[in-house]
Amino acid sequence: MKTTDGGQIAAVRPRVVAALAARFRDLDLAEDAFSDAAAAALVAWRQQPPGDHAAWLWRAAVRRAIDARRKAAVRRRAQHDLRQPEATPEELLIAAREPIPDERLRLIFVCSHPALAPDTRAALTLKVVCGLSTERLARAFLVSEPTMLQRITRAKRKIQAAGVPFAIPEPADWPERLDAVLSTLEVAYAQAYEDAALTEEAAPFTAEVLRLSGVLAEVLPQEPEVLALAALVRFAEARRPARLDRYGVMVPLEDQDPALWRRDLMVEGAGLLERSAEMGRLGARQILAAIHAAHLSRAETGAAPWAEIARLYDALIAMRPDVVVQVNRAVSRGKAFGADEGLRALAQLADEPRVQTWRPYHAARASLLNQAGEHEAAIQAFEAALRLSPPQAERRFLEQRMAEATRSLRGGRATFG
Amino acid sequence: MLLIYEPESAYQGEAGERRLTEIVAKHMALAEELIAAGIQKGGGGLQGVDTATTVVTGGGQQTVHDGPFAETHEQLGGYYLIEVDDLDEALAIARRIPVAEGGKVEVRPLMREDD
Repeated sequence: MKTTDGGQIAAVRPRVVAALAARFRDLDLAEDAFSDAAAAALVAWRQQPPGDHAAWLWRAAVRRAIDARRKAAVRRRAQHDLRQPEATPEELLIAAREPIPDERLRLIFVCSHPALAPDTRAALTLKVVCGLSTERLARAFLVSEPTMLQRITRAKRKIQAAGVPFAIPEPADWPERLDAVLSTLEVAYAQAYEDAALTEEAAPFTAEVLRLSGVLAEVLPQEPEVLALAALVRFAEARRPARLDRYGVMVPLEDQDPALWRRDLMVEGAGLLERSAEMGRLGARQILAAIHAAHLSRAETGAAPWAEIARLYDALIAMRPDVVVQVNRAVSRGKAFGADEGLRALAQLADEPRVQTWRPYHAARASLLNQAGEHEAAIQAFEAALRLSPPQAERRFLEQRMAEATRSLRGGRATFG
Repeated sequence: MLLIYEPESAYQGEAGERRLTEIVAKHMALAEELIAAGIQKGGGGLQGVDTATTVVTGGGQQTVHDGPFAETHEQLGGYYLIEVDDLDEALAIARRIPVAEGGKVEVRPLMREDD
């Protein structure tokens, strides 16, 4: 079946492309050889399904890469009469019969190297490791397709020209480099997650991040933050089916129907988080995953443990004192200790120039003001959030809440006559 | 120490490539003369700023960034010419170069013969 073949190809892609990139030291060549092999596979497998999909693709891609190298070498010699190709085809064919080396981690480290621009690392990783198209990446990262293409091309050129090594970093560099990889995946996932209305469109994209974070947890099972990130992505994905109502309006976490959450992902995530916690090294992603887990516990208990969530945010803010965490912490304090407590936490942010143009700040403020019964101020905050071009599903949610606040305001006034 | 500053755009496109060939020939002639006279101790062309990576030291931390040193506040204060296998080795040495707080070390590969 075609879909199954496509699925098989996508599943083995990270491993095969990484092995190709390691052998040929050329990302473009690895990607092109794999695409050619995959196209051939879709035809060949219809006649005769292979015993081992990865091995079939690896052999076919190695053959194609050698061909391409040889042709390029012939062209080069014709121009400059310089050097021989690096390895003979025979040597490489022998290599192709060996088991596929697992070079996925090295490839992820190359694509997330701090010598590349941060906004490019996530896109490059998803492009090279997962095979996402430039067009889909452009949509996910909200840039035009030519801009995305330019970023990817520039990053690949820099890897080649600046000599970014295809290597696992030295122990001294490990914390910085691993953090770059994890941030890359976090950025990639956040891009896909932001727009709830993209459910259909973003689903394959988030599936890739889900897969990649799983790959990372598989190759680095001793790193608590790696396991925590894999857990975090699973917890967030588990809620996807509940994020929109049947009219396409965003449903905030606390109003979601737990019956719609995906049990398989919740169980997988819980296992990963448990293993991460057992290692006894606390990190920001582990706390974030614990916050997600606390929200999901509502599926069993019927009520979200807001006081516990607020405490977790206190711990998180010590490690990650950024605006995103501060806004979420304020919301949790509002739920746990009352709207005034939430507004007080949010007020500490009022002087930050960045929050004025940051939609989640105004949306959180609107909701806390509404909760406090300050409907007039809430309406103003809703308006501020709506001015900052929310995605469709969120726009409709904000409009609904604003209409409710307006009704409460009129109702309130009516009682005072 | 002579430092060469030029707009990269001058060497782009077909006309740029012709200009580059001309300029490189002039560099080689000049270098030959200076070396023969015992004046020149070293030198080389650098690859484009596209290939630059910068190690920034500040606030008790060292971080690696994409791109060249771009501030006008600090001044070029010296240089090391090293030969290593890859960027990570170069960055490891760049981190060891002593700089004042806020100091930056830009890493740029030299042009090779086959570039």
